Amino acid sequence: MKNSKILSLALPAALLAADAALAQATVAMPQFGSPVLLKAGDALLGQDRLYPSPVYQDMNGDGRADLVIGDLRGHMTVALRDANGATFGAESKLQGADGAIVDLHNW
Amino acid sequence: MSPQFVDFDGDGQLDIVAGIFDGSPHLVRGSDKGWGKPEQILDREGERIVLNQYWDFDIKQWVKTRDFDAPGTKAEGQCTSAVAFDWDGDGDLDLLLGDYNTGAVFRRMNEGTAAEPLFSRINEVVHAAGAPIEVPGKVATLRLVDWNADGRLDLACGGMGDVYNDDEGGGVFLYLNEGEGKTAAFGKRQTLLAPSAKGQAEPTRPDAGLYMDFADHDGDGDLDMVVGGYSLWKMPEPTLNAVQKERVRELKDQQADLNTQRNALSKRIMEGTEGLDRDAADKLRKERLAEFSEDLSAIGKRIQNVNSELEKLEGGAKRRSMVWLYENLGNGRTAAADR
Repeated sequence: MKNSKILSLALPAALLAADAALAQATVAMPQFGSPVLLKAGDALLGQDRLYPSPVYQDMNGDGRADLVIGDLRGHMTVALRDANGATFGAESKLQGADGAIVDLHNW
Repeated sequence: MSPQFVDFDGDGQLDIVAGIFDGSPHLVRGSDKGWGKPEQILDREGERIVLNQYWDFDIKQWVKTRDFDAPGTKAEGQCTSAVAFDWDGDGDLDLLLGDYNTGAVFRRMNEGTAAEPLFSRINEVVHAAGAPIEVPGKVATLRLVDWNADGRLDLACGGMGDVYNDDEGGGVFLYLNEGEGKTAAFGKRQTLLAPSAKGQAEPTRPDAGLYMDFADHDGDGDLDMVVGGYSLWKMPEPTLNAVQKERVRELKDQQADLNTQRNALSKRIMEGTEGLDRDAADKLRKERLAEFSEDLSAIGKRIQNVNSELEKLEGGAKRRSMVWLYENLGNGRTAAADR
């Protein structure tokens, strides 16, 4: 949780620049390989979440696209990309400026 | 709920826009201090932005409306996905709304400014190649991506498909922005990932409820795709010996007991929230959640263990949510290098 709080304070200003970098790489024709499951730490990313919805975003300003997972419940978790660039750390819930979990609660 | 990171209000800070199952787009503002409290995005009259069905938090019921239909449309929409997008190139962000019920996409125009948005009150139908967009399997999510590197954001749609049974699953579709002026104009639908036919004996892909995003995941210069969703598969049902059958009975008893415990905790968490206004009910609910979080977590883990053992013993139809990476094998070239 401590890590998440640091993230929440550092976030938005750093993110715009990373967006621009992500937008550079684009191809015209899709030719995808077989899908592979992504992990976050030792667990499968987004496993057993209600309708996991991943979005790439550099959440800590290190220039690497991390993954944020939204769900039906209205929560978001952050899986930071490891320094090796290939794997992700364990998911932690996105927190607001007040330290509370950001909760887009539903019906 | 699929979050979009975007500077919604033009203050130089990224915000989060998301449609959620209650039927409206929401906003979490970003600032130097961090993320703010989620709020509904309102129209120019200060009303909730909805399609045709939404959850009314005050009366705690689903409500239907036709107040915001464009003339001549017969929509039955429920907005569960939304992206902010400068449709007309005027420098402020309009809204695209995905319909969970039919696969249609609607638009609300920002008639104000980036800093002071005034969203129109009518849900305009979004077309592609001259016909209303109809995402196969209904809309799970919308994403904006400059797929062909022409400087225009294209629209990608994830399909919901049949999330529970054997009917066709979801796919991922792309509508290139072929507008020649400032205003977006989407072309015909292209398939990035065909809808799943299901029927596998193990999880092989996201089959239904597809939520995707795009980035150069592996740094090779092309766009890869990450997809969250449900995998549905059917394991062969093994013939059990007497000991295994007895174990299944034990596990099912444990499963029922644990579910009863979890339901009782959920009931305690909600106790006293009836009759309170939304904020007070939220506050109380969150306090209780904090109070019982360790118990809930422990029960959740025990249920997971029981379910896992049962799954191995029983086989049969399975359904689980996961996140998959589709690496783009398109020769590693960037579109810019192609041109």
